[in-house]
Amino acid sequence: MTAMFRERAIIHFNVTDFAVSVERIVDNALRRRPVIIAPFQAARAVVYDMSEEAFGCGVHKGMPLSRATRLCPGATVLPPRPDIYRRAMRAFLGQVQSYSPRIEHGMVDGHIFVDVTGTHRLFGPAPDIGLRVRRQVRNGLGINPIWSLAGNKLVAKVASRLVKPTGEYIVGSGEEEEFLAPLPLPLLPGLSPEEVRRLRDFNLIRIGQLARLSRQQLMVPFGNRSDFLYAASRGIDSSPIAAGDSRAASLAFEHVFADDTNDEKELAGIAASLAAKAGRELRTRRQAARRVEIQIAYADGIRSAGRATSRRGTGSDFILRKLARQALQRALTRRIRVRNCRLFCSLLERESPQLPLFPEAAGPEIRQEKTCAALDSIRSRFGHAIIQSGRVQ
Amino acid sequence: MTQHPDTPNGASSPSTSAKDCQVFVGTSGYSYTEWVDNGFYPAGTKAANMLPLYARSFSIVELNYTWYQMARAEAVARMAAKAPDHFLFAAKLTRTLTHEREGGLREQLRLYREGIEPLGPRLAAVLVQLPPDFTRTTDNRRYLAALLDGLDGLPTAVEFRHVSWAVDPVFAELERRRISLVTVDIPTLPNLFPPLDVVTNPDLFYVRFHGRNLAGWRSANMQKKFDYNYSKGELHEWTTTRLQALASHAKKGIIFFNNHVRAQAPGNARELSRIIEQGS
Repeated sequence: MTAMFRERAIIHFNVTDFAVSVERIVDNALRRRPVIIAPFQAARAVVYDMSEEAFGCGVHKGMPLSRATRLCPGATVLPPRPDIYRRAMRAFLGQVQSYSPRIEHGMVDGHIFVDVTGTHRLFGPAPDIGLRVRRQVRNGLGINPIWSLAGNKLVAKVASRLVKPTGEYIVGSGEEEEFLAPLPLPLLPGLSPEEVRRLRDFNLIRIGQLARLSRQQLMVPFGNRSDFLYAASRGIDSSPIAAGDSRAASLAFEHVFADDTNDEKELAGIAASLAAKAGRELRTRRQAARRVEIQIAYADGIRSAGRATSRRGTGSDFILRKLARQALQRALTRRIRVRNCRLFCSLLERESPQLPLFPEAAGPEIRQEKTCAALDSIRSRFGHAIIQSGRVQ
Repeated sequence: MTQHPDTPNGASSPSTSAKDCQVFVGTSGYSYTEWVDNGFYPAGTKAANMLPLYARSFSIVELNYTWYQMARAEAVARMAAKAPDHFLFAAKLTRTLTHEREGGLREQLRLYREGIEPLGPRLAAVLVQLPPDFTRTTDNRRYLAALLDGLDGLPTAVEFRHVSWAVDPVFAELERRRISLVTVDIPTLPNLFPPLDVVTNPDLFYVRFHGRNLAGWRSANMQKKFDYNYSKGELHEWTTTRLQALASHAKKGIIFFNNHVRAQAPGNARELSRIIEQGS
């Protein structure tokens, strides 16, 4: 049998205002009433999610709550409850999983990409799957997801952006470029606000205008981003559906401070401790990470993130700690106290079985590796907290 | 029945009384990946190239994607441009007007009319397929009347799935409005609308072959529901009984096979065309 190229069929499900939708299942009285979700106990709380009605009043995510309630005085304000959003997301995923194992999703954001390529013999045409899942989720969970169908994730995502808050959109195969051409550039996923601004400076407003430019023309102002702009504006996207949580390709560890703190030493200590936990997990999985990201949440609800990337994948506590320190420095941009700190390791790869060619030159690395192995063996017997590393000033 | 000069599957009537009726045979939908696997389309055919290939075998298609989502004029125009000029389309009405009736009838109808406008004179019919739970109640009768008023001016056909609509006053009203009653070929189940050869519109009769898979129909799984292969004998018998009656009462007829599973629909459509041609 010869392998044959098969056109892909990707369905994107999206529940707009996921947190609000879930709160409305829990309390039916919230339907048809503007709802704002924000941690209102924080001194300078910001909006976590809001209903369509509140959005219509001008409220948007990240806006200070005090301003949001002024804009939408009749809104019911609720504190975020990530646990129930996670439960709802699991139930939503459960409905989708019966159609394909190739599913990519966010944590609690109501977005799910499903690759249904080749499932037609079992479940019939792809639009029918979209429709059936929507019906099942609507009847079973009471939430009404948007769905779109296209040959790749990029086009499916744009299509579902067009039908908010409810509806469906099918983009026929081969129609991607024509579908995108009349749409405004900010609808194209993956463009930074800075890139949109630059494109506007060149008087490029619609996606079709960008698609008329050649790679060479794009190369001058956009450098290594020109390939992405060239492909995306034509609706080309070969990225696969990453199975599982889109963050599953990453490791996450979190520390919540008992008392909010802005003590840099304490923060650095926690980042190092999280890096050590991540290192141990990576070594257990025989994986190596190339990127460490630190996300911090300030006491007023505002979040900030910093990243550090290394050229080679690593599972060593020593290098991860260094990356975590750099990432933390990049994340700390304000003097406000910090409430919690999360560390993500991403760009994961398999640990290389390659031994160093010149062991004498790799002396420090080998010593560090041995130290990590010793730490792992102690911790596996007595727990993580039994032994800690410290810095000599 | 007369054969359209340009059409591959127009066919002539087997009866003298039906000799002026022009019949077109096609399938419900044309864009099925499965039809590549089963050899109707050549290996490696991309979805974008299916319609021109389909038009080599058939001269009409029933668009079912207009049921899944509201028809959009620019996409419909791009699709129609891929088929030859003589090629005809029947377009299924969007499910938000038939199966998920949640208000906004006038606006939905406006959008639909706008969406299918590029089909112009190539629109053979709008298919209003009503769900099995749409029974003949006062509210539903009012709703259907409003829906048909909204489709006024378009060639329209109505397919009922519930038996309660199989009564003379319904047929009389369709006749008054010159709307075609869809003749179905379907498994025999207690509440399903039965196969009838009643012609309510002398301009057009409309037939849909859904297959006779009784167990599949009960399973609610589309791949089982429409998994049926009509035998030559069954198609012969249908031609001599039902088709004769239909064709003798209408100027034009359109016939679609909906048993799309494993490309049985195009196979059966070709076979029926051959039978009609041989009988003419």
